[in-house]
Amino acid sequence: MFPETAQRLKAAAPLVSQTRLLKDLCRSCPHGGPFSLQARRQISVSGCLSAKIPPPKKPREPVEIPGLEMVTYGERMHFVPGLAKPSYPRWERDYKDPRFYTAPPAQEMPLYKEKPCYVFNQRTSALEGVRQAAWLTKAKVIRGLPPHLLSLAENPENQIPDQDERVQNAIKHARFWDTTQERPRKEKYSNTLLLNLLHLCATLQSRNPALGRRILAEDHSLAATWTRGEDLFQIRGRNGLLQNSMDPLPEASGKDEVSETANYVLETFYPVSPTIDLQQINVYKEDVNCSGFTGNYPYPHAHTLYFLETIHSCKLHPEQFRAKMAMFMFGNALARAHKLYGTEPQQLLDRPITVQAVGTNGRIFQFLVFQLNTTDLSGDDGIKNQLWLEEDVELYDFAKVRPLIKKKQVKVPAGLTGYKPEVFTKFLSLYLHGAA
Amino acid sequence: MAVSCLTRALRSLTLSQPALLSSQTKLGTQVSSTVAQCRGFLTTASLENNRTYWKEREKYTVKPIGMKKTGGRDYTGRIRTHGIGGGHKQKYRWIDFQRLRYEPNKEAKPFDEKVVEVRYDPCRSADIALVAGGNRKRWIIATEKMQAGDVIKTSAVIGRMAVAANEGDAYPLGALPIGTLVNNLEVKPGKGAEYIRAAGTCGILLRKVNGTAIVQLPSKQQVQVLETCMVTVGRVSNVDHNKRIIGKAGRNRWLGIRPSSGLWQRKGGWAGRKIKLLPPMKSYVNLPSISAN
Repeated sequence: MFPETAQRLKAAAPLVSQTRLLKDLCRSCPHGGPFSLQARRQISVSGCLSAKIPPPKKPREPVEIPGLEMVTYGERMHFVPGLAKPSYPRWERDYKDPRFYTAPPAQEMPLYKEKPCYVFNQRTSALEGVRQAAWLTKAKVIRGLPPHLLSLAENPENQIPDQDERVQNAIKHARFWDTTQERPRKEKYSNTLLLNLLHLCATLQSRNPALGRRILAEDHSLAATWTRGEDLFQIRGRNGLLQNSMDPLPEASGKDEVSETANYVLETFYPVSPTIDLQQINVYKEDVNCSGFTGNYPYPHAHTLYFLETIHSCKLHPEQFRAKMAMFMFGNALARAHKLYGTEPQQLLDRPITVQAVGTNGRIFQFLVFQLNTTDLSGDDGIKNQLWLEEDVELYDFAKVRPLIKKKQVKVPAGLTGYKPEVFTKFLSLYLHGAA
Repeated sequence: MAVSCLTRALRSLTLSQPALLSSQTKLGTQVSSTVAQCRGFLTTASLENNRTYWKEREKYTVKPIGMKKTGGRDYTGRIRTHGIGGGHKQKYRWIDFQRLRYEPNKEAKPFDEKVVEVRYDPCRSADIALVAGGNRKRWIIATEKMQAGDVIKTSAVIGRMAVAANEGDAYPLGALPIGTLVNNLEVKPGKGAEYIRAAGTCGILLRKVNGTAIVQLPSKQQVQVLETCMVTVGRVSNVDHNKRIIGKAGRNRWLGIRPSSGLWQRKGGWAGRKIKLLPPMKSYVNLPSISAN
């Protein structure tokens, strides 16, 4: 009976007249007589059976007149038409239960400050790239690595026996052999390649015992604070792979070059403000300076940062990737400087702090060297920091699992093609800097 | 679900004692009377299904938003517009039509923005441009010769002399010389551009009268608006849009256009070339009445 009624009503709803529906309903109900009269009075089916949902009505705002006490039905414990609705204070749990915790709004948090702080984290994609990073870190950008750095690996003593062959084997292992499937995925092969190259460099430890005074660390949390102009900046996040050493890196440039940077004018990019794309927050701790390690860590000096390009949540363009590398190098150097010399801004550091970085996506490498000369970053004049940048160097052209054949001609053969040995020499020289 | 509502409601009719019903339908279209036990019940499917929940984001974002296609169906679920359905998936890029939008916490002064990227938008015929200025980025409708790296200006100042406007800049109508080609016209100041947004279109500023300006729309209709309404200078991008050839039925299907009925239908009074006078000028200016009664 019920399904029949339902089907009939559904099918015939807009077309059937009211009386017919009522008759059907009365026929379907089990009671007869007096009930049907009741039903006829109460069942009202209007013509329109599909209405637009009215927008949610805003409840009437209760008007508060001071001095006038509202008579509510709260005491009577049930609704009485004509009396006001009682308003009760918000109930708070008297014990702390982490399952039902609601965060207070930002204004009520204990660390809330009026002045906003701009935070650069590992997911930030800076719109202007390296120019923005250079402005934020008050650095002069120099294309090309410092020459004395490159000459380190030219020295035949510092070269690995069978260097080219071993590097090519390392690439082949990462790109072809390290999987049970047809080809390894990008995240995997870039990681494997980096670790293989690091291992190759570390084999020189037998000749240079100073290379043993280093250790690798992964995913440590970095935090550093500085002011630039009137704005407060922080860099916070988890780095990539970091190589720490017991001894600090020597300076990459002499005192003369450092004092020459005072004449350099920083590049601005009007109309875009340098704080674009940075996360703006009002709840922050002032003066957080954390290098990621505790005070008595035996390897306190950051030597080289290794960045891998592939993280699915934040895909960065090469320019933004270089900017991220530069900012994190600066963050490490600044955290170290704050620890050594205190948080007061210093015009010129006695010993400039140098940090290196290598970024890769498995084939293309970016080399950066950053030298922190000053922590006085509020003004745009004075001594600047220095950033040496070598971008987009390819270690090899192609590493194909299957050959590329166009029109029955082999354009690119399978296997490793176009290997460039000088890229590994640069990698090695950055590794050996400070020990050789 | 309709059956369960129905059964619940009808079951109440069988009760011998009157009892208060709890609200059964989500809508609660009729308030239960104090005497009887029968409320109106819904015989269609739940109406909540056809709301556009994907559109309810309040904060502006540059990230493309996933879109749900309607297929020409409205809130009742029936086809209201035929010939829409299928097609490639599209993501909605939120365009900021109110060009004169100052950044929060900044003064209300003329400002510059830099064009970062000009790209195709699947949701409209014109191309869109990502512009960055100050601390924020937003999407706007690109004009004809806009390229990445250009700097465009937005100003609300109406001076005595007309401004020599560059393409892509946005000014109020009162500041532009007559005869300029304009697009993205606001008819109510501050509301956002609603007219002249399609690919290759442009309006012409015809005259400036008292505090109002008269613009000719692409349909040759003339419109009178206040001179403080913002407008961008130049033609909208993607000028050759009307010259494109679809080429095959499949391309129309990719655009989400379903085939029309193949039956021959006698054309009525709507078809054929019409030659008639232009409609009178539409005025969006609420002039105060002269007679104060």
